[in-house]
Amino acid sequence: MANISIRNVSKSYGALNVLRPFSLEIENGEFVVLVGPSGCGKSTMLKILAGLEPASEGQIIIGDREVTDLAPGDRDIAMVFQNYALYPHLTVRQNIGFGLKMRGTDKTEIDRRVDDAARILEVTPYLDRKPKDLSGGQRQRVALGRAIVRQPQAFLMDEPLSNLDAKLRVHMRAEIGALHKRIGVTTVYVTHDQVEAMTMADRVVIMQGGIIQQIAAPDELFNNPANLFVAGFIGSPGMNFLNADLRDGRLTAFGQQLTLPRATSHQGPVVVGLRPEHLTLGEGSVTFGVRPTLVESLGSEKYVYFGAEEARIADGEEGKSKGLIARVSHSGNLPRDQELRLGFDPGQLYLFDAKTGERL
Amino acid sequence: MRRTFVQSLALYATVVFTLAMILFPVYWLLVTALSTTDELYRLPPTFWPTDPQWDIFARVWAAKPILLWLWNSMLAAIGSVALSMLVSVSAGYALSRYSMRGGATMGMFVLTAKMLPATLLVIPLFSIFSSFGLIGSLWTLVLAHSTMIIPFATWMLKGYFDTIPKELEQAAMVDGCSPVGAMVRVVLPIATPGLAATALYAFVLSWSDYAYARTFLVNSPDNWTANLGITTMQGEYVTYWNDISAASVFIALPIIAIYLFLERYLVGGLTAGAEK
Repeated sequence: MANISIRNVSKSYGALNVLRPFSLEIENGEFVVLVGPSGCGKSTMLKILAGLEPASEGQIIIGDREVTDLAPGDRDIAMVFQNYALYPHLTVRQNIGFGLKMRGTDKTEIDRRVDDAARILEVTPYLDRKPKDLSGGQRQRVALGRAIVRQPQAFLMDEPLSNLDAKLRVHMRAEIGALHKRIGVTTVYVTHDQVEAMTMADRVVIMQGGIIQQIAAPDELFNNPANLFVAGFIGSPGMNFLNADLRDGRLTAFGQQLTLPRATSHQGPVVVGLRPEHLTLGEGSVTFGVRPTLVESLGSEKYVYFGAEEARIADGEEGKSKGLIARVSHSGNLPRDQELRLGFDPGQLYLFDAKTGERL
Repeated sequence: MRRTFVQSLALYATVVFTLAMILFPVYWLLVTALSTTDELYRLPPTFWPTDPQWDIFARVWAAKPILLWLWNSMLAAIGSVALSMLVSVSAGYALSRYSMRGGATMGMFVLTAKMLPATLLVIPLFSIFSSFGLIGSLWTLVLAHSTMIIPFATWMLKGYFDTIPKELEQAAMVDGCSPVGAMVRVVLPIATPGLAATALYAFVLSWSDYAYARTFLVNSPDNWTANLGITTMQGEYVTYWNDISAASVFIALPIIAIYLFLERYLVGGLTAGAEK
């Protein structure tokens, strides 16, 4: 186990900067998740950390050793790949023991450690099978076994659950969390799934366009997003955004003049953020009428989609084309095209600078 | 979906017809070897000799240095396969895995060499071998055959390496292998079917050559390959086609043996289980 220090690491291919100077201090035993949309640079960062890609600039220190220019095998890290990357010509036992064999470990010791890892991951009955004879979940366990058997300083995981079906993904998510608690190895985990990030991480690093947007604990990210991108990325369904005007502490939105409970010196156009779960059916501190364009039922709760004149900012963004969303607790029937009253508390509004996207 | 009787009939008829087309020359080779000279020229032809001359194989084996010719062919083919595979595996792997300035153009240029007819290269190769004093040596065939094999084998192997996920090598490198170690320990074992198919292609190409052997070895009877040796059995006034056919059967046998040996490695799907 070791702490990891990433200092001003950047990556560019000619004029294309895929990773802007990236700095991160990871504590010993911490579980850090890098999350962001495709092409945000999270996997590139992980590969640089693993030594599979050279950094254009910067330094990486694992424990007390600088590893920036070391080969992957000399960094004392283990990696779990998105597509498992099991050696198809070797048995499960040989797969798990491969790294130890490469390091010249004694055969008796290899067998003992492989047996231990197999027992922890419950793959003992499959040790003599080839990967093709295993299910997706079993293959993922073998890939984890290959990582833990070496007792490395750090685990690097590159979207290890994205090839599993939804049910197995939830199960494996819990297993990886439990495994981390049990062996306590520093872990850097990459995913594009914000639910994985929120449920597994001690700290989450949100990235976009090769730039870190925010580093914080999951609850902190949800409650105090640093900017529009983070606010929109974290939460499911995503936060609603509206264009509005802020003058002398009064906000014009939903056709009403709202008085904000928090004082702000900002004047002029702003983007207002409101989480779907902060909208309630019926009267609230602020109430407005909507005509739903779509109602999706999840059983005990409903997603109510509706349009609003101010919601132009969401145009063209993924998942937002249906307008605004309210996530309301209601088990009955909510008919479409019939006016509903929705309410919210102005204290739960988020304000962002319309130009910079930064939180006000 | 269940096939109807007519569909099944059409399917089997196609299979039988295709097999007949492929196997007829082999059958006719055997019939020619076993027939007497008189019977060979009889019209209409007989489709199985009335008195098969089984002793012809022993007679031809005793009369001609078949074993020496086969040995020379084998040496030339093994040498060509070894040299070609050494170069093609490295080149195909590099083209598949590394992006370099002008890499794609270089790859296409390699393939262009395959587009030149072998006869076009005979004269320049003769000139080169002659200046190195190699004419008459089996090395001429090893080198000349390699010039034919390497371009296509490189592309064959590149295509095969492209199908192997890069993450396997990355995993091997994280596990402690060097890039070459990852190739040798992980990629090559997985690429066995591709390597076997390429080696078989290379072997057959070398084994079936006549033009280069005729040009470079004609004055060195001790180094004659099987194909070159057989052509010397053609007489100026009389040709015993049954003798030539019997010798041809001997020459075909090693290829069949090699194919049977490599067949187990020619199965695909070795990467199954590496990924989802």
